[in-house]
Amino acid sequence: MSVLEYLANGLVFSSIIVLSSIGLSLVYSIANFANFAHGDTMTVGAYTALVTFGFVGSLGAEVLGLPLGFFLALVVGVAVAAAVAVLTHKIVYEPLDVGSIGLLITSIGVAFVYRAIVQLGFGTGFLEFQIPLLRPIDALLPFGIRMTLHDVAIVASAVVLVAGLHALLQYTDLGRKMRATADNPSLARVSGIRTDRIEIWTWVIGAGLAGAGGVFLGLYSNISPRMGFNILLVVFAAVILGGIGSVYGAMAGGFLIGMINQLTPILPRLGQEIPFLPERFGIPIGIEYANAIAFLIMVAVLLVRPSGIAGEEAV
Amino acid sequence: MNVVDGVRGWFGELTRAERGVTGFVVVLAALLLVGLVTGGLAPTYFLYLVGLVGMYVLLSFGLNVQWGYTGLINFSVAAFFGIGAYGTALLTAGNSPVGADGWRLSLAGVELVWVSGARLYGLLPLTVLGLLLAVALAAAVAVAIGIPTLRLRADYLAIASLGLAEVVRLLFLNQRGVTNGSAGLRGLPGFFDGWPVLGTLPQTLPGVRVHELAVGLPGVFTTRLLGFTLGAPFWQALLNVALVLAMVTAVYAVLRRVHRSPWGRVLATIRSDEDLAEALGKDTYAFKMQSFVLGSVIMALAGVFYAHLNLFVSPGDLAPINTFYVWIAVILGGSGSNRGAIFGGFVVIAIREGTRFLGEVLPASFPVDLPLVTSTYATVVNNFASTRLLAVGVLIILVMRFRPQGVLPPQRELIWPSSVAASAGPGETNPRETIEEDAAAGAHGTDAGPDGEPDEPAVRNGGETDE
Repeated sequence: MSVLEYLANGLVFSSIIVLSSIGLSLVYSIANFANFAHGDTMTVGAYTALVTFGFVGSLGAEVLGLPLGFFLALVVGVAVAAAVAVLTHKIVYEPLDVGSIGLLITSIGVAFVYRAIVQLGFGTGFLEFQIPLLRPIDALLPFGIRMTLHDVAIVASAVVLVAGLHALLQYTDLGRKMRATADNPSLARVSGIRTDRIEIWTWVIGAGLAGAGGVFLGLYSNISPRMGFNILLVVFAAVILGGIGSVYGAMAGGFLIGMINQLTPILPRLGQEIPFLPERFGIPIGIEYANAIAFLIMVAVLLVRPSGIAGEEAV
Repeated sequence: MNVVDGVRGWFGELTRAERGVTGFVVVLAALLLVGLVTGGLAPTYFLYLVGLVGMYVLLSFGLNVQWGYTGLINFSVAAFFGIGAYGTALLTAGNSPVGADGWRLSLAGVELVWVSGARLYGLLPLTVLGLLLAVALAAAVAVAIGIPTLRLRADYLAIASLGLAEVVRLLFLNQRGVTNGSAGLRGLPGFFDGWPVLGTLPQTLPGVRVHELAVGLPGVFTTRLLGFTLGAPFWQALLNVALVLAMVTAVYAVLRRVHRSPWGRVLATIRSDEDLAEALGKDTYAFKMQSFVLGSVIMALAGVFYAHLNLFVSPGDLAPINTFYVWIAVILGGSGSNRGAIFGGFVVIAIREGTRFLGEVLPASFPVDLPLVTSTYATVVNNFASTRLLAVGVLIILVMRFRPQGVLPPQRELIWPSSVAASAGPGETNPRETIEEDAAAGAHGTDAGPDGEPDEPAVRNGGETDE
């Protein structure tokens, strides 16, 4: 496989990581705790979309190799993930009075409950969207890139969602209130912002993005009860790399971590791919350590810049 | 009568939570006893369960040093447990790629190290060497993880330690040349194999045959009781229990001393207000590191015990769920409370083995045919792995909601008896009163929500550190 192809894969995987890490970072900045149930919220979104897609089937025309029914399933998945998160916030998190560490530990319990319910309903096996696999796009083959229309759909959807979030944060009233609340909750409250409402909107947007990430992750590989938890650590690495609580940092961190994750296979033959390096130069490390590398990078960044790329003072 | 009065007096002095825990332990012990007597629970398996409880108690002690005393959120418990288990298994397992049997290391004609049979230099049993290796390895990894993460804010440590634990697990899974990969290491000796006397004790002890009894009222019912043989496996299991009890006792004694020493008091200060500890001129980073290493070494000790109990280790033992079990034990018991850790160990085993047991005992389908209920019941009963996960999750949420300080908060352990005798003058707070007030307030908090929590300056709140 060529380097360009790895880069293309990285772009697709990064899109998924970016969606999830923005949600995680958004919730962190306002609810003020590291939400360990975020990965399992992705799983909830993926399974909801799977069930919905089973009902609506290959409804309607095709867009980017995907039937319109899939986009309907995506919307339902996002909505259910958001609804589940808001319910959890109302029932579990809001009545608690335990500080950020207590919330973090509670969110682990929430994650287990989500996953256990998914397992009880669907078993522990792997499932897939019943969408026929596509051939790689012919126009890209001469460049050595094997990319399907589905991959393009993932990247395009992620770009649309990220641009939409940017517009929301920068140009709408809700976005300004969210930024104010994230910056200084007490000041926001005395300025007349109803921070509890803002908090609910944050859960809706954050969990919705997680749901979308889960659906795309399911389309990209497959669907299983552990899918969200397995990717959670990579998402955390992205968020910490970007600076925990910073939305734009999470975008950058997610992009970098996703790329690095997919570029791991070329590490042993760096010399052959990169000019000016000795032909036999390489870092002998297998792809089974792709996630481990994401972590080591995160720890290395923390050593140099404890607040992450775009984070504020964190220590 | 004296004994009865003594028990009554002791029971009367307990707080409500302590009575509840006592009740739970009594009921659990009675259930186990019934199981043993009716033959539903084999004595060897019973001892195996006791060994597992001891192991979780050790792990909880280790986490208590880090989280309960110092406030460090360590999510790599399973990694240190695995390092302990692999540390000893790599040296002693039958199929270990780097096994020590037959090792000879000589330099310039002088033999430096030689291993024969199960001993080093024909003297030191390999299992002891394995224990030392495991402890050294755990301490080294703890320092390596601590250097980048202990300076950071609390939640960074949580995420980073979970990630680094995953790195450790991936290493054990993928470095097949060293660890045998996903096949794991089997054929481990018992911990006392190769020891004088103790090594062959289970074989030399005589077997005991306990005859089956048929009891009952004639014509009404008859039932069969007992009826098992206690042979070498039983004595072996008993030896294992003795080992874990020795470990738990030793660690408890050390921690009790540590907790009340000046060193332990600095840790408590760091937990409640790190800036204050800094302002008092303490090198908080060094203290955190020492606490992190001490806790990790205790976790590795649990791993060593597990390896020689189970006689098989695999990368699955490093799964993150094991970390969360230990967290439940500590939070449920009461952060910082060693009695709580013991209680938590019992509860975790009750969840782990109880759900398995319920899955076998409960009927597979709901006796009455109701829409939805029947199918839900069947799903829950027939998937005990998922049911267990659900139980664990719900338990975490309920504890944090209704009793974030845990069932047995550590206030009683923090009272040094001699200091009570010395400071019983007027104007001093009577610690006994403090406990009772706290218990009353705690019980009130259960009904009225966490707002009713005591804000007692003399008693450290076992629940939370504020940002």
